[in-house]
Amino acid sequence: MIKLKGRKEPWQSGVAKNITFIVTKDCQLACKYCYLVGKNIKERMSWDTAKAFIDYVLGHEDDFREESVIWDFIGGEPFLEIELIDKICDYLKLRMFELNHHWFNSYRFNFSTNGINYHTPEVQAFIQKNREHLSIGITIDGTEKKHDLNRVYKITEKGSYQDVVKNIPLWLEQFPNAGTKVTISSADIPYITESVMHLYSLSIHEVNINVVFEDVWQEGDDKKFEEQLMTLADTIIDGGWYQDYACSFFSENIGKPMDPERDNQNWCGAGKMLSVDAAGNLYPCTRFAQYSLREKKALIIGNIKDGINQNLLRPFLTLDRTTQSPQKCLECEVASGCAWCQGENYDAAKTNTIYERSTAICLMHKARVRANNYYWNKLFRKLELEERREEFEKNHRKSNPSIC
Amino acid sequence: MVQYLVILLDDTSVSYCHADNPNAERKLISIEHLKAGIHEAMRQNWMIQFVYPDYELPQEYLDVIDTIDHHDIFGIEKSNFEVENENDSVRVMDYSQLATANIQFSGGILVLRLAKKDLFEGDDKIAALLPKVERLNIVITDLDTFTDSDIERYRTILAKISEKVKALYLGGATPQFNLLTDRIMLSKPNHCNAGVENLTLAPNGKFYICPAFYYSNPDNSIGDIKSFHETSELQIPNQQLFRLDYAPLCRHCDAYHCRRCVWLNRKTTLEVNTPSREQCVVAHTEREASRLLLAEIREKATFMPETEIKEINYNDPFEVRKEW
Repeated sequence: MIKLKGRKEPWQSGVAKNITFIVTKDCQLACKYCYLVGKNIKERMSWDTAKAFIDYVLGHEDDFREESVIWDFIGGEPFLEIELIDKICDYLKLRMFELNHHWFNSYRFNFSTNGINYHTPEVQAFIQKNREHLSIGITIDGTEKKHDLNRVYKITEKGSYQDVVKNIPLWLEQFPNAGTKVTISSADIPYITESVMHLYSLSIHEVNINVVFEDVWQEGDDKKFEEQLMTLADTIIDGGWYQDYACSFFSENIGKPMDPERDNQNWCGAGKMLSVDAAGNLYPCTRFAQYSLREKKALIIGNIKDGINQNLLRPFLTLDRTTQSPQKCLECEVASGCAWCQGENYDAAKTNTIYERSTAICLMHKARVRANNYYWNKLFRKLELEERREEFEKNHRKSNPSIC
Repeated sequence: MVQYLVILLDDTSVSYCHADNPNAERKLISIEHLKAGIHEAMRQNWMIQFVYPDYELPQEYLDVIDTIDHHDIFGIEKSNFEVENENDSVRVMDYSQLATANIQFSGGILVLRLAKKDLFEGDDKIAALLPKVERLNIVITDLDTFTDSDIERYRTILAKISEKVKALYLGGATPQFNLLTDRIMLSKPNHCNAGVENLTLAPNGKFYICPAFYYSNPDNSIGDIKSFHETSELQIPNQQLFRLDYAPLCRHCDAYHCRRCVWLNRKTTLEVNTPSREQCVVAHTEREASRLLLAEIREKATFMPETEIKEINYNDPFEVRKEW
């Protein structure tokens, strides 16, 4: 049977509640594309705040009926607060058990880390303790050159590649199926192919890659982007990499027109998720916390003392694709797979609304679709000539665009 | 398409809707702004609704107002003054005035602004108004504070007033009462539509979505009368969000009488196109009371045979949003 690597569905996709602790707004790095414009060393979550939040969430089981839960930890860099995180996770496990909560035995702890502290005894001890309920993603952007273009230390501006790459073997040993997340900004375009191939060479089998949603794109970027993806397509197909490795840029499901009624769901999961910060304020997603916003005020939906103001969640939970999209998106013939971030939409909108879709990535999406069409046409033709197309069609795993 | 222009003649013009007017200091619109507002309304083919303060305007203003067809909205004190076409005008009073004033009504439209507490305690007084006016509009000023127990009380109060309305109908009268008869009479949505069908010109010569947007923040202006004269355009960013087809809950809803107050929406949910739970549940409590009233009248007489209000099993469209 032909093997073809597709992207994995996230754990309990669609049935898990994402609950995020913003444990710190500090990070060792100052990545140039980072959307967190308000990072600082002061806003570190206290144990009292974390505990009060856990007591609120677990004490309102009827308000959180999702089958499973993903307890997310982000920063800044979450592993800077490993001691607090360890205490939080111990308390979560204890309370879920004591309360006979329906999430006990259906939970995960999830981390997105820059990987710098991954090898430290504290982090390793935490991993050993929670291994069965853990997923960790390390962000590495590709080659040293591409990685260090953006992912630099905050004071020295020294590249962080060497400090991250040394931890990749240990990470893959502990999480063999782990994927990495790559973010593409304007300056990164020339390095896409070499970066993806570099990550494959590090034995990272799944590369989740996306262009930033912010309006950073310059004239001609879409052409350069398309050329890079064409080269990447040739490299993956000619080298047979598609059999064991996946890159989220290439998906069979993208680039189709969308029906205004059948395909009207929101892309983003904001509002279905819940985040808490060091002040005990609650957000529909971390992207609505003040440190994520350039132009707008934080959109706070409650706090650990008073709980969630359900009226403030209504706009998020009634949001659909057509209501927030401009006419050009509704008429777009390659609309499927074109993503958006509700937080960025809010930040970029003319008014204080989440109902105005930013279209900053429009040309980049169209370029991706053209390269994606090329990829699948070339791959299918190759498989046909090898008389393996039918077998492939039956057996290959389809990838799904992930919803954040 | 804009059809109406509300002109607030003074900063202390009477509030006739959900938002209180916090302004205590008189500030009359300039005669130039008044004339310009009228002129633009004539150019754009807008009907004007003048909103009056509680003092008598200078004769110069009355003469200018008299140059165009219009409607008047004034506080109950003003009803003692000479106002032309009085029966076409809207009179506004607060609950406290209902208790103390000795006012003889003779038709016309009355807007009664009150808090839920007054509504719950004063249903007899409210019912007594119905035969005296052509139309009674109740505006609940603290609608956003309704609790589940308030809703239960509201249901009971509406049932009591409904008895009075039914008796009037069966006696041959045709009272109009926004909380109970509007839904019966309507076959399509009849919301406020501020920002779409009507706009407001404030005493400072600037346009607003509605008076509440002016009261809550004068910086909410969407343009001024002078530049509008040059361009015939206003700056309403994301204006589509004021439209019904851009309101994901409301566009499916058949509580046609609901005001769908965009100011309350923004106050309670931060989005002009999304109502709070309280606004939806109150409107659906009225819808259900209207449905029951219609059924009860029909037990005694043939009445509006073409009208159907379906029985539904929810009080908040948000609860059934996934079915749409």
